[in-house]
Amino acid sequence: MNGAIMKSLFQTSLKLAAVSLLLIGAGLTARAQDARLQLAHLDYLVSKASETVDVNIDEKVMQMTAKFFSSSDPDEKKIKEVISGLKGIYVRSFEFEHEGQYTAVDVESIRSQLRAPGWMRLVSVNSKKEGEVEVYLMTTGDQISGLAVLAIEAKEITVVNIIGPIDLDKLSRLEGQFGVPDLGIEPTKTRKN
Amino acid sequence: MRKFPVLLLVALVLVPVPTRATGLVSDDFNVIVKLIEQFYHVKHESVPLLARAGMKAATTAAKIRGGEYKRLAEAGSVRVVFFEDQEFNARGGSAGFKTSVTKALSETWSPIIQTIDKDGEQTYIFLKEGNAKYSVLVVTIDQHDAAVVQMTLKPNTLALLLQDPNEMGKAITDDAMKDQPE
Repeated sequence: MNGAIMKSLFQTSLKLAAVSLLLIGAGLTARAQDARLQLAHLDYLVSKASETVDVNIDEKVMQMTAKFFSSSDPDEKKIKEVISGLKGIYVRSFEFEHEGQYTAVDVESIRSQLRAPGWMRLVSVNSKKEGEVEVYLMTTGDQISGLAVLAIEAKEITVVNIIGPIDLDKLSRLEGQFGVPDLGIEPTKTRKN
Repeated sequence: MRKFPVLLLVALVLVPVPTRATGLVSDDFNVIVKLIEQFYHVKHESVPLLARAGMKAATTAAKIRGGEYKRLAEAGSVRVVFFEDQEFNARGGSAGFKTSVTKALSETWSPIIQTIDKDGEQTYIFLKEGNAKYSVLVVTIDQHDAAVVQMTLKPNTLALLLQDPNEMGKAITDDAMKDQPE
């Protein structure tokens, strides 16, 4: 009797494990296709930072915004071209008074997401900003579906995550607008890493 | 004969009377005002000091729009509460306040911009979509003053403001400080 119960429990456990693996796999695949970075783990830095910026412009607001820029006005037309098709702009920036306020784990948790399938790091990207600036593009098929910039200094960490068709030229035109900080990015080469 | 005044008194007590800004109706605007009062142990001004904005507001709004000054808010849509000359221990409590304000509005409002600058000035801008218009809720807190502003914007006005979100909170607060057009 106990043997039968154990066997039944074992079979149920196996089925549950198989389902769990499938769900995890599906989740990873879904995340791999998604250019939106998960940055909530950085929230604790707000209490340590002397200056913080948190921008969340989602797809609905982005599309509404693009719709209201005129195609006949030259300046608005330029902006419309840049933001049309974008599905979101997300920025997290923390500036600290002292060094050592954020950890390597904080940075690694972002970089690990950027190692997921679909993301590629662009090399030979110059930035006027001090410190290390890493730029990543996500491609889905032959289309660019997102961009991430990770700017790291001893007393500052900034993550810019733009969802949708975006390239370095568009990024440089977006700098200083829609919450995108002025990173002084100058594209030189866009060779895949 | 004595029943009428008693019934009237009971009715007055039971029926909520909506008022601007300091109203008794529990909505998100009042929730945020109460949250500031409880979090920082301050009291809001019952009479907004609307007259002081003047040219400053016009200049800011004009800069944002890149042209002639026009009102940002839809007529009659502005709600404002001020806190003046009080202590907002922003440096110590800004992280906790950010969490509280985001949690309080999370069901109905989307956080667009949240900033805390070097001087401890906090700006929170939330957005809610309505019937072809958008409501924005702006909370600004510095070391001694604070303001809560809610107003309705046309989508094209919102689109222009979003182009410079760092100035958006200031432009909306300045606009709210001006008298509403007839």
